[in-house]
Amino acid sequence: MLEPKAMTKIVIAGSKEYMGTAIDAMHTRDAVHIVDFVDESEDFKIGTPYESATKLSERAISLRSVASYLGIKGKEDISNKYPAGAIKETMDDKTESLNFEVTQVTDKISEIDSRIKDINDKKRLLDPLKSFDLPLDLYRDYQSLAVFVGTLKGSPAINDITDDYELETTLYGRGNVIALFVPRQFEGDVLKRLQDQNYSALPLPEMEGIPKDILADLDARLADLESEKAKGKEDLKGLRDEYIDYVLATNEYLSIETQKAEAPLRFATTKNAFVIEGWIPTEDLENVQDDVDRASDGHVVVAVDVSEAADVEKVPVALDNAYLSRPLEVLVKAFSIPKYNEIDPTAFMVFMYPFLFGLMLGDIGYGVIVLAIAVLISRRVKSGGMHDLAIIALYGGIFSIIFGFLFNEFFGVELFGHRGLTEFIYVYPTLPRLDNVLTLLIATFVIGLLMLSLGYVLGFINEYRQHGLKHAVLAKMSWLCLLWGGVLVIALILPPLTTGSAIQLSTGLIAGLVVAVVGFVLLIMGEGVIGIAELPTLLSNVLSYSRLLSIGISSTGIALAVNRLSDALFFSKGGVFVILGVGLLIAGHAINTALGILDCGLQALRLHYVEFFTKFYRGGGVKYKPFGFERKYTEEQ
Amino acid sequence: MVDPIGAGMIGLAAAIAVGATGIAAALGEQVIGSAAIGVMAEDEGFFGRGLVMTVIPESIVIFGLVVALILLFVTLPSL
Repeated sequence: MLEPKAMTKIVIAGSKEYMGTAIDAMHTRDAVHIVDFVDESEDFKIGTPYESATKLSERAISLRSVASYLGIKGKEDISNKYPAGAIKETMDDKTESLNFEVTQVTDKISEIDSRIKDINDKKRLLDPLKSFDLPLDLYRDYQSLAVFVGTLKGSPAINDITDDYELETTLYGRGNVIALFVPRQFEGDVLKRLQDQNYSALPLPEMEGIPKDILADLDARLADLESEKAKGKEDLKGLRDEYIDYVLATNEYLSIETQKAEAPLRFATTKNAFVIEGWIPTEDLENVQDDVDRASDGHVVVAVDVSEAADVEKVPVALDNAYLSRPLEVLVKAFSIPKYNEIDPTAFMVFMYPFLFGLMLGDIGYGVIVLAIAVLISRRVKSGGMHDLAIIALYGGIFSIIFGFLFNEFFGVELFGHRGLTEFIYVYPTLPRLDNVLTLLIATFVIGLLMLSLGYVLGFINEYRQHGLKHAVLAKMSWLCLLWGGVLVIALILPPLTTGSAIQLSTGLIAGLVVAVVGFVLLIMGEGVIGIAELPTLLSNVLSYSRLLSIGISSTGIALAVNRLSDALFFSKGGVFVILGVGLLIAGHAINTALGILDCGLQALRLHYVEFFTKFYRGGGVKYKPFGFERKYTEEQ
Repeated sequence: MVDPIGAGMIGLAAAIAVGATGIAAALGEQVIGSAAIGVMAEDEGFFGRGLVMTVIPESIVIFGLVVALILLFVTLPSL
């Protein structure tokens, strides 16, 4: 629970003839963490992948291109698992015919796309001319006339150049479109005049007819093409529905086979033999030994490596937590994976994280919403990080409801009691947050104190294991003494200081001072004078827990504001306004719930990462990655 | 009888405590947030730690909020 799984270092060795069967047996067990072989020497070389690897990856590439055309992402759920053997036999033909069918449809779609683009280009060119009733062929091929068709900022004034011209003009965009016909001898002058007004010529498409009619025709063709394209997409969808199971299963099969075929790249090999170094959870050792032995007829040996004391930094770490606390591993891993000889904090977080979350959210209504969302997500997403987060939210929701009862809050209003919605089940003492700020503030400091102390105790154990007792006392006991001595001193001198009375030199105060001084001396011995610079962090760490109250009160405050606003603005007016009031209530509380989940979640996480973990947790372990595959779409016979 | 000017002053003090610390926290998070996103472009696995580093300056505004809460809920009623 607090430790990762026990690991054993193993060496697997045998004749190359049996390498394939050994790989198969290891892969099926999905337990051996292979340490890649890198130090080549005269005797040992890195293995060469099986020849099938190239072919397999080629097939995988072509299959994945089909999958991307069909919009298959590779995470979909399918109803039945494929037997791996069946895939092997039919894969080549089936993939080829599927590839052919898909390419036909996608080629057609891309051809339609290029025609659509072509039509849209023409439409863009013709659009400015749509209000001119002049056929396109009358714009070109004159002997004696120069034609200017284009856009212009202002309107052309060329009366001083010639009276002999024909001008069509219309508003277009932020300027005008013109079609200007002038005798050719004035072409140069007119062009210059036009250019002064930002004239830009329109290239006219080589077509016949009046622009308006052509545009209508183009639109009709465009509609045809769009419907054809929609049909093509429909076809693709049909193919997708038909083949999705096959594509997913085959892709998985190919991934697995490629992984196996390329495995020798991680082995050390000689001319006739191979050696694999790796780690295995001790509980799986016998199973793998039996499997490999049976598969290779005793020609491959799985032996426990006792040759050298293993470097603890390099042992792969497989977290080992109870079913209920496993989802919390995702939060620990997001920070860092623990080292092999480090305490895994997951088991503590399974209580503390939801506790802090619930303490901050602390509202029956919001708690129920969080709970409902969490249940919905965890039902829909069956595995992975999202599922884990949903389970964590579920725990958080439960604690929010518990604290909601304590704080007597239901969407920001009191639920029980003479000020609440219902008076008749007032049976327990409640602690409304807005009325008990000082009490709760002190309570948050106590929670902080306890969490920090736990952190230092865990840190003491870690240091003791890694560096011995002396180091543990100097590095962790010192802070623990400082923390509790300091707290005792502050708790005893603060009340007299605020009231202005004299400070009594009680036994408690003396004990606190002594403990704090001992801690201080240990700190100086351990870290030198520089340790003093870190003293203030102790205070800010404890104060940091006050967020447990402030975040909660902010959330209560927003809920209160939403309730009062909707009452003052709408409900008090009655009639239709009640609907608006309900709308405001729903919107306001929805936003507040979202804020609550995000902020309470993040702040609770921060209190773990920044305040708690820094006391004992370094992380940086190697992740345990067993050689194998979690089959989702296929099954072995 | 609560002195209205005194009560108003306490309200203003609470507002300054939250407002000023809010600005300060925002300034801090701006720098850290953009740096964290820069790192995430290189290594997506940094998200968890990046997020946590980004909310570290939040403490400033939390302290401001605590001061405001004490002013409003402890000092003000005792006037």
